[in-house]
Amino acid sequence: MTSLILAGLGAAFVLIGTLGILRFDDLYSRLQASGVSDNVGAALILIALIVRNGWSWHDATLLFLLFLLLLTNPIATHSIAKSAFTRGHEGGESR
Amino acid sequence: MQIVEGLLLLSLVGVLARMVRGPTPWDRLLAYNSASNRVVLVLAIAAVGAGRSTLLDITVVYVALSFLGVVILARFMERGGGNR
Repeated sequence: MTSLILAGLGAAFVLIGTLGILRFDDLYSRLQASGVSDNVGAALILIALIVRNGWSWHDATLLFLLFLLLLTNPIATHSIAKSAFTRGHEGGESR
Repeated sequence: MQIVEGLLLLSLVGVLARMVRGPTPWDRLLAYNSASNRVVLVLAIAAVGAGRSTLLDITVVYVALSFLGVVILARFMERGGGNR
């Protein structure tokens, strides 16, 4: 039950992030929407999977996956933003 | 859990729409990053649902490879690749 609530919350975060990626009208706003909400959604869903069938060595891989996602996702977002900024991409509307 | 999986696949379709439409190449890269994130989550849910830890190992490798792809493509475009 708890795991279902956590996973539903995570899926809601991911869906809201998708809405932001689709509807915002600026590259940097879209980066913000993706970078923030994806992390929280992934963390919630993976924690829900860990909660679901108790602790075992099977879940150590899930914990490692969570650590890896939380480590790499901000780096990827930052590297995309840095690349766009270095190439002189102004903010502004671009749908 | 299958409901969550369906919702993730739905949001994967939305992100792929941004990848097709995105005006700048960085939008496409961002959409690729988000899409691989959703694929990873769906794979993890499927692995735990089926009780196979092999799928979880595949998921870890997928995370590493997609991260490398995104960072390398971003550096490539930062140095002027792709005529942009």
